[in-house]
Amino acid sequence: MDSDSDLTLLMESYQQGDSSAAAALIHRLSAQLYRFFLMQHISRRHADDLLQETWLRIHQVRHTYRPGHPVLPWFYAIARNVRVDHYRKAHRAESREERLEEGFDVAQAAPGGARTGACAPDMDRLLAALPESQRDVILMLKVSGMSLEEVARATASSVGSVKQKAHRAYETLRKGLAAMGVRASKGDLA
Amino acid sequence: MNDRDLDDLLKRAASASPDVDPGLLDRIAHSVETARPVHPLAPAWVLTGGLVAVCVAVAIAGALILGPHGVRKMSTADIVVIFPVVGLLIWLAAALCAAEAVPGSRRPVAPWVLCVCGCLAPALVFGLLFHDYSTERFVHQGLACLTAGLAQAVPAAAGTWWILRRGFAVNSIAAGFAQGALAGLAGLAMLELHCPNFEAPHVIVWHVGVVPVSGALGMLIARFRPARPPA
Repeated sequence: MDSDSDLTLLMESYQQGDSSAAAALIHRLSAQLYRFFLMQHISRRHADDLLQETWLRIHQVRHTYRPGHPVLPWFYAIARNVRVDHYRKAHRAESREERLEEGFDVAQAAPGGARTGACAPDMDRLLAALPESQRDVILMLKVSGMSLEEVARATASSVGSVKQKAHRAYETLRKGLAAMGVRASKGDLA
Repeated sequence: MNDRDLDDLLKRAASASPDVDPGLLDRIAHSVETARPVHPLAPAWVLTGGLVAVCVAVAIAGALILGPHGVRKMSTADIVVIFPVVGLLIWLAAALCAAEAVPGSRRPVAPWVLCVCGCLAPALVFGLLFHDYSTERFVHQGLACLTAGLAQAVPAAAGTWWILRRGFAVNSIAAGFAQGALAGLAGLAMLELHCPNFEAPHVIVWHVGVVPVSGALGMLIARFRPARPPA
């Protein structure tokens, strides 16, 4: 990635107390972190909270970034940690709550909330059906454009394991799309 | 449908995601406006070296306090084989601990690999070197060694915690296991220096057992007291 060295420099300036570097990082990376959360079947309101919480945690542990090392794996490892904490809290809250209405409208809680311009096949639903580890790998590789090595670092696994998860995820997505009747190649998808 | 079609679909789904509220971005940027300068964590090799030094020092100190009867009774061949293997495992566990304390860093091995190697390698070495298969007072003596090994793991764990106190483990359970196993390896090293009982079942079960038990305890502590970002 061309911007890698820029991000590294910004991160180093941030560690040295440069608040404009922090603001630049926030404006450059928030969109992709937000997308990472939204595409995990998380509502827009929760994605806002998670993004805020991620930056707060990044701020608290900014000293753990090692100058010269890749920036994105460090950010995504923290974002995943924040999301896991969110799941734990949500699970604890759910276990305490009583279910009042069985007929809750799932569409209201759909990821992205007011998402517009959805493409033909419902990728959100297909991605939601993937195991979390496979979904993370696919989103980092294909949506955030990270390299295999970067994804391996962010997910604390090996490059081989990342390749295997991506392969399995693609197989599952392909089957899901076939079941939805989307078999065509590029021309039909447009 | 080929991979490129799927890539296109994913990218299109991503581009359909709503943008971040600019007000939210401003609020976040405002919250980190007063960023004080921070010192980055020490390089991985410094942390690893510190962890190894602490564990070796704790093991030697413990053996000197209790008496180095085991190492005195060992042959040169035993010493040349056992201690490099234990030392290598300590280094591996220390490198894993140092990696777990930094988000997005490359891990030398997975924690489960450390668990398997930390148990199998010493068990294999002891099985090859010690040929006394008697089991006199197996449980009584064994529990004494297990307790001594675990007690020795406590100061080692405290030392590793102090070295890694500025780190942030994104996977607190894996980090807890790695730190527990490292402390357990310090306990195992102390037992090899101290314990003169060379019955193979005793050494394989009770000495080696310190490593998984200590690792499991570390994992349990991390499970119920997950790592929080340093304030």
